[in-house]
Amino acid sequence: MSQVQARFFTENKKYLVDDVPFSIPAASEVADLSGVINKLLEANNDGHKHVEFDFLVRGQFLRTKLANHMETENISTVWILTGSYDKTARIWSMEGKAVMTVAGHTDVVKDVAWVKRDGLSSLLLTTSLDQTIMLWEWNSERNEVKARHCCRGHAGSVDTVAVDPSRTKFCSGSWDKMLKIWSAVPTVEEDEMEEPNRPRKKQKTEQMGLTRTPLMTISGHNEAVSSVLWMDAEELCSASWDHTIRLWDAETGGQKSTLTGNKVFNCISYSPLCRRLASGSTDRHVRLWDPRSKDGSLVLLSLTSHNGWVTAVRWSPSHEHQLVSGSLDNVVKLWDTRSCKAPLYDLAAHEDKVLCVDWTENGLILKGPSTNHQQVRKLLTFTYMNSFN
Amino acid sequence: MIFENRLCKKIIKTNRPRRRLTFDVIDSNPHGRIFSMRPTHTGTMSKLKNKKRNLEENEDEQLPIFDKDGGKDGPHLDDGDEDQGDLSESEESVFSGLEESGSDSDDEEEEEEDEEDGSEEKSSDVEEDKTDRQLSAKEVIKPQTDVQNSKEKKKKKKAAGKEGGEESVVADRDSGLQISSQVDEYEHDTSDEEDIRNTVGNIPMEWYKDYPHIGYDLDGKKLFKPIRNKDELDEFLDKMENPDYWRTVQDKMTGADIRLSDEQVDLVHRLQQGKFGDVNFNEYEPAIDFFSNEVMIHPVTNRPQDKRSFIPSLIEKEKVGKLVHAIKMGWIKPRRPKETTPQYYDLWAKEDPNSILGRHKMHVPAPKMKLPGHEESYNPPPEYLMSEEERLAWEQQDPEDRKLSFLPQKFACLRAVPAYSRFIHERFERCLDLYLCPRQRKMRVNVNPEDLIPKLPKPKDLQPFPTTQSLVYRGHSSLVRSISVSPSGQWLVSGSDDCTVRFWEVSTARCLKTVEVGGAVKGVAWNPNPSICLVAVSYDDTVVLLNPGLGDRLVCTASDQLISSYEEPEEVKDQLVQWAVAEGEGHEQGHRLILKHPKAVRQVTWHGKGDYLACVMPDNGSSLQVVIHQVSKRRTQNPFRKNKGLVQCVSFHPIRPYFFVATQRYVRVYNLIKQELTKKLMANCKWISSMAIHPGGDNVICGSYDCRLAWFDLDLSTKPYKVLRHHKKALRSVAYHRHYPLFASGSDDGSVIVCHGMVYNDLLQNPLIVPVKVLKGHTITHDLGVLDVTFHPTQPWVFSSGSDGTVRLFT
Repeated sequence: MSQVQARFFTENKKYLVDDVPFSIPAASEVADLSGVINKLLEANNDGHKHVEFDFLVRGQFLRTKLANHMETENISTVWILTGSYDKTARIWSMEGKAVMTVAGHTDVVKDVAWVKRDGLSSLLLTTSLDQTIMLWEWNSERNEVKARHCCRGHAGSVDTVAVDPSRTKFCSGSWDKMLKIWSAVPTVEEDEMEEPNRPRKKQKTEQMGLTRTPLMTISGHNEAVSSVLWMDAEELCSASWDHTIRLWDAETGGQKSTLTGNKVFNCISYSPLCRRLASGSTDRHVRLWDPRSKDGSLVLLSLTSHNGWVTAVRWSPSHEHQLVSGSLDNVVKLWDTRSCKAPLYDLAAHEDKVLCVDWTENGLILKGPSTNHQQVRKLLTFTYMNSFN
Repeated sequence: MIFENRLCKKIIKTNRPRRRLTFDVIDSNPHGRIFSMRPTHTGTMSKLKNKKRNLEENEDEQLPIFDKDGGKDGPHLDDGDEDQGDLSESEESVFSGLEESGSDSDDEEEEEEDEEDGSEEKSSDVEEDKTDRQLSAKEVIKPQTDVQNSKEKKKKKKAAGKEGGEESVVADRDSGLQISSQVDEYEHDTSDEEDIRNTVGNIPMEWYKDYPHIGYDLDGKKLFKPIRNKDELDEFLDKMENPDYWRTVQDKMTGADIRLSDEQVDLVHRLQQGKFGDVNFNEYEPAIDFFSNEVMIHPVTNRPQDKRSFIPSLIEKEKVGKLVHAIKMGWIKPRRPKETTPQYYDLWAKEDPNSILGRHKMHVPAPKMKLPGHEESYNPPPEYLMSEEERLAWEQQDPEDRKLSFLPQKFACLRAVPAYSRFIHERFERCLDLYLCPRQRKMRVNVNPEDLIPKLPKPKDLQPFPTTQSLVYRGHSSLVRSISVSPSGQWLVSGSDDCTVRFWEVSTARCLKTVEVGGAVKGVAWNPNPSICLVAVSYDDTVVLLNPGLGDRLVCTASDQLISSYEEPEEVKDQLVQWAVAEGEGHEQGHRLILKHPKAVRQVTWHGKGDYLACVMPDNGSSLQVVIHQVSKRRTQNPFRKNKGLVQCVSFHPIRPYFFVATQRYVRVYNLIKQELTKKLMANCKWISSMAIHPGGDNVICGSYDCRLAWFDLDLSTKPYKVLRHHKKALRSVAYHRHYPLFASGSDDGSVIVCHGMVYNDLLQNPLIVPVKVLKGHTITHDLGVLDVTFHPTQPWVFSSGSDGTVRLFT
């Protein structure tokens, strides 16, 4: 986190600057900010004299570095994207405020993903039971969301989506046993050739965005695909209800290897740090796999502590031994692979089934285990689907 | 007299062994010697001579009779010894004579036969006869002389008898009392060894010198001395006057005077002269040369060989020498020291298995009697005594069933114990036991009953099957009667008594849709065809086809299209069932077609192709219990004309055009194409509740209200191949898995039992049925537990719906 988006307000008309967000280094202090404002004022008004400003951030004086201040005051720029059974996706701020509601699907939203964020606009994906994936563009500054593309092609509910490391493609897995690779780059032209003189269609396009077709379809699973991820730019990994995890070549669409379990897989996660796959299945165990082993399935470890199906599992992005798992028994557990007998922490704040877990990117900078604990919990509170009704 | 008698007998006895020594081989009778020798010579006698002899012997026979007549008192008097000897002699002669004649006649007959048979051999025989006769003529002389001798003897005896008679008369006159006592004497005289009139025994009689009695008789009364007041003068006078004085002696034991008879006197004389006491003993008998030069086959003497003839064996000597040496050196202990402790035979000891008999393979030792216990005691501890009820029960039992064959009783002392009335009976039974008990070891195979149980694989090896409850689908407010899973396995539909049908997402237990209908839902069935998205829901008398709009959009729209594309046929037939298309709000909710039946519909089931729909309307009195609808043509037909009982449930065969109808007790299998009854399965239960067909089509399971689950193998029999009684209460539902070899049953006891039911392609191999898991989770409400079970189409998961308003998923 090197840059922070910031706006500057003042009551004094004399020193008013444009109401646009500026990118400011996070390490900047009060003097640096004053310099920025002074430079802005100088640009507008030549006769400006240097003035030392003081800054209030959410009613608090800024006294330290901006980054430190944000940390201590819990001001975050992390947004949380959730999909819900109420057919919408929501963007939440770290404080727990619903910033934006993304509505457009005609059925339950099953999975969501950030494609990329550059500046104020970010691209996000939502998949739904209505067999479509929608690519949205969200402008965080103006706080408006626009459907860019509607990806059609699946014949079942799209349960999972994953964006490739280059942020140009994404892969989706569906109940119809297929994996489809799509382009994640929004375009203005319609991919499909359509007759322009159809107002209804156009109206629909306005609402839903341009229709997009898959770049590639990968078939091979015998049952519904429950989870998909990119191992690297060329390799895909998918877990399915047919008790297998399959590795695919994303370029050719060919199958590279298969890991066979004996239960339905709910979710998988891959850590590039330790190069292990973690899987959650319809039993109580979190299993760790070595995807490079060619000789069939090889379970390296079984982490057993849950009492229900493991519905979500996620490696820590910054720590090679830590992973977090969520289960239908309402408990989220933080694991360290070096202590496979018992989890590090039980995070038991949910009152209903945990369906999804994720780490914040800045998990790394949270040092103390207790704060880490809190932070993770806070994160998770937003990523589960609390109650259905 | 007795004394004398005894003496005589002793003498006779001493004589007898001597005779025996010599004539032992021939006859033990001392007097029969001569006559018994005779038959050896008489074998060849001629008839004439025999006749002569017979005449003579007849005379002999009569003689003793005269003799008896002559000596009337003879046998009764003490001189009978001689008489007896005579008598025995005469009797023996008589008998031997008879024997002779008998044997002779036999011989003669044989000879006659010989003459008759072999007339040709006569000439040769004649010469032999002649020589025989010559020989016999010589021998014949002897008997004649014998006879003459005996005649002379008898004459003498006659004279003696007359004398004896006279003498006895005199004796009678003298001592009349004695006679009576003598008569008694014989009565008492059971032993010829001892005179037991006086019981004092062998003591010096002078001890009784000063007493009036001399001893005691058998009755313990005193024996008084005879009155003896003779003085010297009387003695002298007696000596002078009494001619028998010299032969009168005093019996020391009784103190009585005894007059010796002539024979006794004679005997005394003979003994005094150093002669044999027996008059008849001939000291100078003609010697018979037994020891001749001829070697006889039988040894004459039984004397052991004398030591002279013993030649000691050198080999034995050597052996003995060795043994002696060994004993000297102490290698052999010559004699084991005798055990001084007394040895008893332990009647109840177990037989030593190493004994010779025990080692014998087929040996069965005799059964031992049970050792007596406390209850046999005359004074048993009170706990062994039977109470009144026990005693009554004991009396009512059959004797064979009784634990004890007697009633334990308590007596004050051992003396009060009565005789055991069943003693003989018990001994007899014991004998029977010993006698009848099989003493043969039967080579029976010892089978451990557990070995007979078929070796079922462990449930662990039969994975996968549902083991734990994973998800609970909550939302219904009343009991959930029926559930069904979509063919893709993504959705679950449940129908409840709260008049709603709910659609659930299987993986998250989220209710996606709730459709309200106009009554308590009795049955739901998802169309098994994956290209049609329709759910049949039955409530009251209505069956509604719902399109839930779940799953593939194209499929849903295609299903709607299928229904809306229906065109009314030109001729409208009167149908049993009213078909109506749902409109308005109902259509919004997903209702597509509404079928109004004449009666309440209990069950709906689809054919595998998804076009035909069978509905059950149980009604005992009508033939309209089952109707089959064809959705695409909106036609309804009643396949059965007759009512064969209350229909419980129906099912289509998964592959072939068969239709299964379960009534209360039977499952009938109909061929829909041939329109005939193919099979009738006897369920052996009282009331079938549910039925499921194996996806292979050859096996059927039936659940019944009497807690049984019957597995039918249609190829095997019309009777159940196996009946499982695992549930404690009535079964409500049974289900097969479509791919895995699993079946499940739900029961009122709130449990679901999952069984492994492997059906093999090999026709010779019977299905393997192993119960693997009892799944519990539902709470029992209103005495109802699990109402419906169904399997996930692809995963080994089982859903169950219960009366507690929940649907549960076990994985």
